[in-house]
Amino acid sequence: MQEIIIGIGVTALAGALAAIAGAAEDTESNIGSQGDPNSQVQLAPQMGYTHRIYNKAVSGEPPAYTLWVTLACGVAWAFLMLGVNAILAIVFGTVLATFVQGVYATTAYLGRTASLSKFGQPVFIDVIKSVTTVTMAHAFVAIITTVTVCYLMMTVIGHPFALPLLGIVWGLALGAAGSATGNPYYGKERQYQNQKFGAGVPISASGNIVRYAEAGQRSSIDNGFFTAKFGGPASGLCFGLIVFFELWRTILFEDYLAGWGAVIAGAVIIIIFMIIDRYVEVWGRKNYGPYTVEASA
Amino acid sequence: MSVKIEASHDGIPHNKVMVIGAVISLVSLYIAILGTTLGVDYLAFFGGIAAIGALIWGNSTIKKLCSYGIGTGVPSAGMLAFGSGVIALLFASTLSGISIWIVPVAALILGLVVGLFLGWISNSVLNMKIPVMTRSLAELAAVGSLALMGLGAVATGFVGFMDIATFDFLGVTVYNASYLGAGIIAVSFMLGAIALQHPFNACLGPGEKQDRTNMLAIECGFLSMIVMAVISFAFVSLIAAWISLIVAVIGWGVSYVKYVALSKRDAASWLDAKPFSDSEE
Amino acid sequence: MSAIAAKPGANAGAFQPVPSVIAIVLAIILVVVAYFLGSAGILAGGAMLVLQTLCLIILGAALIAFGVHFVPVGGAPAAMGQAPGIATGVAMLATGAGLAGLFGGAWAAELGLGVALASGAIGGALMMAITCLMVNISYVFGMGIPAASGKVLKDPITGDLQAAYKSQGTEGHGLPFISYVGGVIGGLFGGLGGTLIYIELLNFYNVGLPALGFVGAEGINMLAVGLAGIFAIGMFLVIAVLSAYNITGTIEGPHDPKFKRFPRAIVAAILASAVCGLVAMLVVALF
Repeated sequence: MQEIIIGIGVTALAGALAAIAGAAEDTESNIGSQGDPNSQVQLAPQMGYTHRIYNKAVSGEPPAYTLWVTLACGVAWAFLMLGVNAILAIVFGTVLATFVQGVYATTAYLGRTASLSKFGQPVFIDVIKSVTTVTMAHAFVAIITTVTVCYLMMTVIGHPFALPLLGIVWGLALGAAGSATGNPYYGKERQYQNQKFGAGVPISASGNIVRYAEAGQRSSIDNGFFTAKFGGPASGLCFGLIVFFELWRTILFEDYLAGWGAVIAGAVIIIIFMIIDRYVEVWGRKNYGPYTVEASA
Repeated sequence: MSVKIEASHDGIPHNKVMVIGAVISLVSLYIAILGTTLGVDYLAFFGGIAAIGALIWGNSTIKKLCSYGIGTGVPSAGMLAFGSGVIALLFASTLSGISIWIVPVAALILGLVVGLFLGWISNSVLNMKIPVMTRSLAELAAVGSLALMGLGAVATGFVGFMDIATFDFLGVTVYNASYLGAGIIAVSFMLGAIALQHPFNACLGPGEKQDRTNMLAIECGFLSMIVMAVISFAFVSLIAAWISLIVAVIGWGVSYVKYVALSKRDAASWLDAKPFSDSEE
Repeated sequence: MSAIAAKPGANAGAFQPVPSVIAIVLAIILVVVAYFLGSAGILAGGAMLVLQTLCLIILGAALIAFGVHFVPVGGAPAAMGQAPGIATGVAMLATGAGLAGLFGGAWAAELGLGVALASGAIGGALMMAITCLMVNISYVFGMGIPAASGKVLKDPITGDLQAAYKSQGTEGHGLPFISYVGGVIGGLFGGLGGTLIYIELLNFYNVGLPALGFVGAEGINMLAVGLAGIFAIGMFLVIAVLSAYNITGTIEGPHDPKFKRFPRAIVAAILASAVCGLVAMLVVALF
C-alpha cells in the first residue's frame, strides 16, 4: 500500500511537471519560431515581405528537444557519478543544455538570414540579442522539468532504462506533443492574424505573415504572451496527460491479472478519449456550420 | 508552398571533401587508440577531432543528397545516418577482440555496407530513383559510425567493446555505470544526429556558401565535443578531462567567431535596432 | 520543412516487383546466415534462439512500417490550416509514439512477453489518442475551424460530409474521425513493433553477454537493457525514416490513396531490419 501511495504521489508530481514542460516547450518554440510554421517565416522574404521574426531553423521540435533533454540527462548523470547532489546535478545538466540550445538558435538565425541575402532580408542583431535569451529561459524550464520527470521515473518508480535513454523517450514525446498541439495555433492564428478567423489560410496568401504590431514592426517575442493564452496550456495539458496516464495506469493496475490490468485500464482510457474527441468534432460541426450550403444533402 | 532547397555548386568538390573528412577522422581515431595502448588517456580529445572530420564529410553528403528534393526534409537524413551508424559502430567495437587497430577502419567499412543496403532499398524498393541516393546513404551511415566512435572516445578514452561496456568503480567492475550501460551512447547519438544535419539545414537558401556551411559544421562538432568532455569527467582522469574541455571550448570559440564573421560577409545588411523598409512603402 | 520533388513521377507510388523480390530473397539469405552462425556457435544461444530473435525483429520492423502509414501527418501546410493532419514530421511523430509505447513495454518486460507487447501497444496508442484529441481541441476551440478531409467526400467511419466543411482555398484541416482512429492504430502498431524488437534483443543479449566473459546476472541485465534500448531506438528511427520516404511527406490517414503504398514499406522494412538485426546480434559474437 505504501508503495502505491508513493507511486501515485510521484505520478501526480510527474504529471504536473510534464504539464509545465509542455507549456514552456510550446512557448519557446513559438518565440523562436521553430518547426513547421517556420517555413512561412523563411518563405516571406522570398515573396517580398521583409520581417523581424527570429528564424530559428534548428530541425523540428521533436529531434531538437530530444537532444536538449538527452544531453541534460547525460551531463546530470555524469555529475551524479561524481557525487554531486541530485538537484544540483540536474541543474548543471540543464544549464549546459540551455547553452547548447542558445548557440544552435543563434547559428540557425544567422545562417538562414545570410542565405536569404538575395531577397534583401537583413540580419537584425538586436533581434538576436533580445529574443535569444528569452527562448533560452523558456527552454531551461522545459528541459529541467522533463529531466526531473525522467529522474523520478528512474529512481523512485524504478523503470529499467538508464537516464539518457529515458531522456530520448520523453524528450521526443515532449517535442512531438508540443509541436502537434501548438504549431497550428501559432501558424494560423498569430502568423496569419490578418486572415479571416475561423477558416484555414488560403494557399494564395502564403508568405504574407503578420509583420507589424501595435507599436510598429514586431519581433517574435510577443509570440510568448500569445502562446500563453491557449497554445502553451493546451500543449502542457497534452504532455501532462500523456505522462500522467502512462504512469497512473501502470502503478495502480499492474498488480491485477498479472499485468493485464494495466493494459485493460489503458484501453479503457483510450476509448474515453476517443469519445471525447468525437464529441468535440461534432460540437465544432454543429456550432460552426458548413462553409458552403450543400445544394443536396 | 515551401522553401526551395538550393545549394551552391561551386567550391571544393564533394569527393575531395569526403576524402579530407575521412582521413582526418581515421587519423585522429588512430591517435586516440595509440593513447590507450600507451596507457595514457590525455589523447582522448582526438576523438573529438575525429567526430569533426566525419561531420565535415557528412555535411557535404547531406548537401548533395538534399539538393535533389527527397520530400521529407533534412533532419530525417541525420536520424537515418545515426540510426544505422550506431548499429555499425557497436559491431565494429566488438571486433576489438581480434585487434584494436582494425576498429576504426571496420567502423568505416561496416557503415558503408549497412548504408549501401539502406540506400539500395530507398532507391529500388521505395522507388525514390534519386541518382546519388545509394551512395549518399552509404556515406551517411559511415559518417554516423565514425562520429559516434569519436564522441565515445572523447567521453571514455576507449573504442573497444569491453572497455566501453565496463566501468571500474573503486576497484569493482560494474556494467550499469559504463558508457553503454548508463546509456551515454544515447547522448552521443543525439548530439551527432543534430550536429550532422544542422549546418546544411541552417544555411539553406539561395545564398548558401560552402565555406560558411563548413565553418558551421566545425562549430557544431566542437560544441558536441564540449558536452562529451563535460561527461568525460566521470570516466577519465581529471587531467585528460580538462584537456578535452579546454581544447573543445577554444575550438568552439574560434569557429563560432569565424562563423559570425562569415555570416556578416554574406548577409544583405547587418542592422542593429533599425527598422526594415518595405519595398511597397 | 519539405522540398519540392525533383522528379514527380506519374506512378511514384507504384509497387516495384523485381526489387521487392530481390529484397525478400536477400532477407531470407541473411536469416539463413544467422542460423548457420548460431549452429556454428559464433552466436551464443543455439541456432533456434538466433533464428527466433532475427525473425521476430523482422516482424517487429514490419509492424512499425505498417503503423507509420496510419498516422495522419500534414506537415508545414497543416500548421496554417491548409491541410488535414498533425503539423509535425512523419518520422518524428511516429517515433515519438513508438518510443512512448516502448517505455511502457520495457517496464512490463519482466512480466512476460504477451503482457509487455500489449503494454507497449497500448502505451503508443494512448500517446497518439491524447495528442490527436488536443490537436482537434486546438483547431475547434482555439482557431474556430472544424475538421475536414480533402481526400474523401464522406468520412468512412462516421459518414460525415467533408466538402462543405472545408474552407476555401485549402485542402482540408484538423483531424476527421478516420484520421483520429488512424493515428491511434498507428501508435498501437508502432509501440507493438518497437517493444517486440526491444524484448527480443534483450533476451538475446542476456544469453550472449555471459558467453563473452561478463559476470553477474543483474549487472548483465542492466547492460543488456542499455544495449537493447539504444538498438531499438536506432532501428525504430531507420524504419520510420524509410517509411517516411515511402509516404513522401504527408498523408491524411488510412483513407488517403497514399496509404495503399504500404506493401513497399513493409518489404523495405523486412530487408533493412534483417541487415540491422543481424549486425546487432553480431555485437555479442564470439570470434
